[in-house]
Amino acid sequence: MSSENETPDLTRDTGLSQLVEGTTTGVFALCALVTLVTTVAIFVTLLRPAVDFFASISVATFLTGTEWSPNPSGGSLAFGIVPLLIGTLTVTITAAFISLPIGTLTAVYLSEYASARVRAILKPMLEILAGVPTVIYGYFAFVYVTPALQATLFPNLGTFNALSASLMIGIMTIPMVSSISEDAMNAVPDRLRNASYGLGATKYEVSTSVVIPASISGIVSSYILAISRAIGETMIVVVAMGSQANMPQVRDAILGIPYIHPADVLLQDGATITVAMVNIAVSDLTGGTLPYKAMFALGLALFVITLVLNVISDIIAKRYREVY
Amino acid sequence: MATESPGNEFGRVSRLRGQLFESVTFAASITGILALAALLIYVTIDAFDLEAASPEWLLVYFVTLVLPYIGFCLYETDRAIQRRTALILAGGLVITAVVFTAVEAFVRPIPGLTWQLVYLFLFVVPVAGYVTVAGSNTPTGAVGFGLLGRIAGGAALGLWLFIIFVVFDLQMYFLVYTVGVFPTALVWYAVRRWNVAARLAGSRVDRDAAELLTTRVLVGAVGVVGTAGAVVLRGSLPVYPTDLIMLAWSLVAPVTAVTTVLTARRYDRRRGVLVGAAVLLVALGGGFGLSVGALSQNGAVLLLLGVSVPTATYLNRVWRADEGRAGLALPLLIVAGALAGAVLVQTFGIQSPDPWLDLSYIRGTPTTQTTQARSAGLFPAIVGSVLLITLTALISFVLGVGTAVFLEEYTRDSGVIGAISRLIQVNIANLAAVPSVVYGLLGLAVFVNFAGFGVGTAISASLTLSLLILPITVISAQEAIRSIPDELRDGSLAMGATRWQTTKNVVLPEAMPGILTGIILALGRAIGETAPLIMIGMATIAFSPPSGLFSQLSAMPMLIYSWANNPSPEFRFGVVAAGVLTLLSVLLAMNATAIIIRNKYERDA
Repeated sequence: MSSENETPDLTRDTGLSQLVEGTTTGVFALCALVTLVTTVAIFVTLLRPAVDFFASISVATFLTGTEWSPNPSGGSLAFGIVPLLIGTLTVTITAAFISLPIGTLTAVYLSEYASARVRAILKPMLEILAGVPTVIYGYFAFVYVTPALQATLFPNLGTFNALSASLMIGIMTIPMVSSISEDAMNAVPDRLRNASYGLGATKYEVSTSVVIPASISGIVSSYILAISRAIGETMIVVVAMGSQANMPQVRDAILGIPYIHPADVLLQDGATITVAMVNIAVSDLTGGTLPYKAMFALGLALFVITLVLNVISDIIAKRYREVY
Repeated sequence: MATESPGNEFGRVSRLRGQLFESVTFAASITGILALAALLIYVTIDAFDLEAASPEWLLVYFVTLVLPYIGFCLYETDRAIQRRTALILAGGLVITAVVFTAVEAFVRPIPGLTWQLVYLFLFVVPVAGYVTVAGSNTPTGAVGFGLLGRIAGGAALGLWLFIIFVVFDLQMYFLVYTVGVFPTALVWYAVRRWNVAARLAGSRVDRDAAELLTTRVLVGAVGVVGTAGAVVLRGSLPVYPTDLIMLAWSLVAPVTAVTTVLTARRYDRRRGVLVGAAVLLVALGGGFGLSVGALSQNGAVLLLLGVSVPTATYLNRVWRADEGRAGLALPLLIVAGALAGAVLVQTFGIQSPDPWLDLSYIRGTPTTQTTQARSAGLFPAIVGSVLLITLTALISFVLGVGTAVFLEEYTRDSGVIGAISRLIQVNIANLAAVPSVVYGLLGLAVFVNFAGFGVGTAISASLTLSLLILPITVISAQEAIRSIPDELRDGSLAMGATRWQTTKNVVLPEAMPGILTGIILALGRAIGETAPLIMIGMATIAFSPPSGLFSQLSAMPMLIYSWANNPSPEFRFGVVAAGVLTLLSVLLAMNATAIIIRNKYERDA
């Protein structure tokens, strides 16, 4: 160092370092901007073909049509989302029957009963359930679960069916419910539990009448997230549920109320919104055609549904959270 | 509770209810895990054709491979653990045999299983896992697993390099190294060695400028000119040395040199030379020796280079540390056991399974013909997946860390910037919930159609996957950065460092293990994603590996998707099961790496 320098330059605020500082700030800001641009890009890229699509197929026809055949061999094009919605709803509800109760009970066990050591083993193992690639779950459903169900409970189950796909989606979404619910249960302060014990409550009573009610906002928001994940799930249904968008037979109940028998959907092949998108992508990616645009319209529907569910889950988690 | 009187009916009922509830919650928490475990057992049996394995075959390998391994793990453990292990193994054998036979006889036959296989998966595999954990806490076991881990990690690294050279041009790398990297390193060394900056600084130029001129500008210029020269040369140079010479000069030589210097600096010069010589000998000697075997010459050199560096340095370290040296025998034990098993199976003519998942499957090309199912392979898809993950890792590292640094280090809580950063934060949370198939549409519209990167190319796919995992990488990187205590930042800032200098020298190095862990876990998500790849029009089957960023490719999950609906049982239960197991193994290896990084970091911190 040059010793004749009288006033040491402590800041070293040279032009160069300012330049570097400015450049790096700009680069980081640019990176952060990419996430915003992604959202905007999703909106724009989905909206433009979708608007085109709705120019030729009216929104009402799209929402109420009961036939979906974007790639007909000889027949006419039809873009009615109802059979796809029925497929998606069936899969989602059936999966929810698996994941919501199991996930909630798991969360209760992890937060109330499990010792620290058991928790340290169980939690990573549960995370594995969400980490297995979904195409592998689809393969399991198609190759192992469907034949097993055919051999035992449902002899007339189709080779492709909604049931085994839903079971796998249910298993896959268990950790989503359990981890968020467990976080919510852990956030319940111990003094609530102790007060309840002090009144003579058993551990069961504390879990069911204190901890669960106190963390209900977190539990519900985890339910909604899991459902949103099940709605958007693609590969399991593509591999195990088939590709034909069937409109189930509408039956009449005693009072003349039309209904759809769940077995008509569950035990047969069918299609969800995501399956329909993949089918178009596999067969027709040239761009500009009506099915191509329909794919984006479906994507928009899916995006909006999951976004709305996500926002609702957020609001519930924030607004109804008990503040201690 | 203790205060309840024993005769109290209510007490008994409520206690029963409580116990029942606890068991129900426990059963619920293991339901999913057990279901997945059962499916994994079936897929493993199918992939290795274990159904066809005779009991004698299982017995031979149990004796030559499994028992020595368990013995090794228990070598230094407590008596209690040894007794427990022996009890479980022996008791499990009896229980499985009796229960399974009873079920088969009185209830119904169980398809695809024998009691030996049930014993293997229900008792042997868990016990092996248990003794592995127990053994790794003893000195000998720790050394053994340390060596095994380094061999496996080195092999993975070598294979990764091999695959990267399948995609990219070895000759290009050779030229870039020879005219670009090597001269740059020489100049950099010379500048440091003879302190050129200090000599310059004496006369007219001040020190900072001299430093900048020599270490940055001069070195940078050599590098840029050299690389540009390499690109020009690549177009015009007609003759190249053989692959082996190119690898030896441009990869083995520098790696050996760096290993030697680092070891010498840490221990002494003699050890450095020893370790370096070992690396050089193994890598090159192996290249000549193994080329006749399973791998190509390039593959053998790269594999052995990857294995030899960590192994040689680890051997050197263990030998000096003088504890648990016996553990070094573990790899030998395993190899010897496998060989002995093979010899026994050969000599006694024991009926052995014909696994679908073997070397020829890894190296073969895919097919859809039922008659060729036996020769079906995964190689192009493996190369495709590795290329995709490499590119995705690079892109999402830059974007994820950049975004996280901006949100954590460069924003304020209030004002316009604060509002923007809150908006970005909310936006990231929402992006995480967007279904992957929608990201596929985004990729199709933006990268394929708008930017024109091509249908189903490596670059379109990896950009799409990067955007898909961006929310996860950003959130995990943010957590890692947030966990750095403010004292470190303040210390750096108080020394007069700028914000960028603080980020670069203090925050990022400290947060790097956490960031890497998060990114590897996110990449595990990306490697199994299929839906977005379908949407951007990726080919389900590619018969040759990709040859660059803009070439079409296929990936492992795509191949599983296209094979899964193949009606023939050879595909359904053989070929696809092997593919599923390969993909899961890669995933497991990635997650294990992430966990090892995290554990190491947590221990150090």
